[in-house]
Amino acid sequence: MSFAASLTSAELTAKASVRRRLFGELARTRLSGVILIVMLLVLWEVSAARGWIISDNWPRFSAVLAAAYHGLRSGELGEILGSTLYRMLAGYAAGCALGVLFGLLLGSNCFLDWTIRPLIEIQRTLPSPAIIPPLILFLGVDDTLKIFIIMLAVFPPVFVNTYGGVRGLDETLLLTAGTFGLSRFDTLRKIVLPATLPAMTAGMRIALSLALIMAVIGEMISGTSGVGNYLMSMQYAMRADSMYAAVICLAAAGYLLNRIFLVLERAVLHWHHSMRMS
Amino acid sequence: MAREITGQINDGHLERDLCMLSLKSLSGLVLTAAFAAFASVASAQTVRVNYIPITDVTPMFVAIDKGYFAAEGLTIVPTPSTGGAAGVPGLMAGAFDVMYGNVVSTMLAQQQGFKLEIIAAGTKQYDNPANTNGIVARAGDPIKTGKDLEGKTVAVNTRNGIIWLFARAWIAKSGGDPSKVTFKEVPFPQMLDALRGKQIDAAFMVNPFFNAAVTDASAFQFVAAPYREVQPDVEVGHYISTQDYFAKNKETMAKYVRAFRKGVQWYNANLRDPDLVHIISGFTKMQPELVAKLDLQRLPEVVNLGSVATTVKLMKDNGLITGDIDLAAMTDPDALK
Repeated sequence: MSFAASLTSAELTAKASVRRRLFGELARTRLSGVILIVMLLVLWEVSAARGWIISDNWPRFSAVLAAAYHGLRSGELGEILGSTLYRMLAGYAAGCALGVLFGLLLGSNCFLDWTIRPLIEIQRTLPSPAIIPPLILFLGVDDTLKIFIIMLAVFPPVFVNTYGGVRGLDETLLLTAGTFGLSRFDTLRKIVLPATLPAMTAGMRIALSLALIMAVIGEMISGTSGVGNYLMSMQYAMRADSMYAAVICLAAAGYLLNRIFLVLERAVLHWHHSMRMS
Repeated sequence: MAREITGQINDGHLERDLCMLSLKSLSGLVLTAAFAAFASVASAQTVRVNYIPITDVTPMFVAIDKGYFAAEGLTIVPTPSTGGAAGVPGLMAGAFDVMYGNVVSTMLAQQQGFKLEIIAAGTKQYDNPANTNGIVARAGDPIKTGKDLEGKTVAVNTRNGIIWLFARAWIAKSGGDPSKVTFKEVPFPQMLDALRGKQIDAAFMVNPFFNAAVTDASAFQFVAAPYREVQPDVEVGHYISTQDYFAKNKETMAKYVRAFRKGVQWYNANLRDPDLVHIISGFTKMQPELVAKLDLQRLPEVVNLGSVATTVKLMKDNGLITGDIDLAAMTDPDALK
């Protein structure tokens, strides 16, 4: 501070100090992130309007905004997003539930661990889009397939984190539980679950964006609803502006979901965070 | 509730009678409607049809729009697949009953042991002054024949597909060696950009992208129409079902084909009808102004197995299939006449 004060007292022009103050203010807020995005969008608009990039797949950003406005007003985009989010949340819930269940079971039982984990380790390395064609034979092309592939993508991160959490449990905690004569169920409920919860939620947060990605990929294969299907049909209809409008809405939905998750996580793990603070 | 209402009206018999009458007729109406709905649910058969949203499948949507399917007691559930992965696996899994498939994919699947039945004609390239698809190159590039494409890169939508097959066949026919041409898989919507960006030297395009390319003479040039030049009157696509489904639903399929054929007839007779623009825009999601610019081709009412056999031979020559395919055995005789 004293350095800044000495500078202003020196023969710096008033203009420079104003600029410095402005950038100083900016550095202290998160506005710079917003400004970068706005600048990129302006560049998009100008590059399309000025013909720097000539392509049917590069509409003006203003045309995209107009398409988004019309799509949202007519309810078309809302409906499309809704059906994607419905499938995404269904697959996400199933994947999280199975991930936690298997993580707890395999983490605490050696026999189950040795029997099932090799299978899970193999499944984990398979990219979901690669196994879609055989899955179509068994599950068709409707919601069942789409929810299933979302579940497949969500399961590994949740499982790995939960399993790791259980394995990394402090031995003393378990011994203490034994000393106090806690039943297996109570040990799980009072010791294991709370101790692994931070790891579990970390896995769930990673899985959240995976779920959204897989929902869109699944819809690109076939079907009449959802963002993925919309993106494909808009490309084939040469309506790039509507396609980007859907992409922007999807990005907004993804951002919002992540925000909601953070709020929920903070609510559930407040004790954990407060402990780490201290 | 109804009794309460009628009970309250005591001051005039006529009024009460009228009210009773209307209540009776109302309940009668509701009952009739319920029975009618039940009856229609019982008699209406649903056929789920998978299609790719291109103008070739317009007759089906004409038949839906004009009520031809409904007149036969059929409800059609159209399911688009733009990605292409669904197709035959979806049909085998029972996700849909009928699908529009190109002749090469159908024959490849048949060769692999999927038992398919051709139930109706789909697309045929009639001799027509206007092109609706073809090979496009950058304006100014010296590409006129297959020979010129040697050492160059040509975009096709999928390898081992019908577009790929006819691109190869055209190159061979116009003096080139297809094995000296690099084929790159590029989705139709990205072909124009790939040409502009010089990642490819030519592309076999379909509408609406083909139309966008050939109407922009400053950037692109039309090179050839492989379908027409390799095999005049080639049958590009058909409607197929599994033999199993076909055998179990003969009556439904007969109704389906009858209604569908009416759709083809209406379509061929009204190629310039504004109604058609509306229908096409509805299922392709293209803007009506874009649809109005496209040249629409007449579509076939019957399957010509001679033409299919020629394509099968072409597939053999290019190593796509090895054995023979009994075409007559896999085609509904009604589709031939």
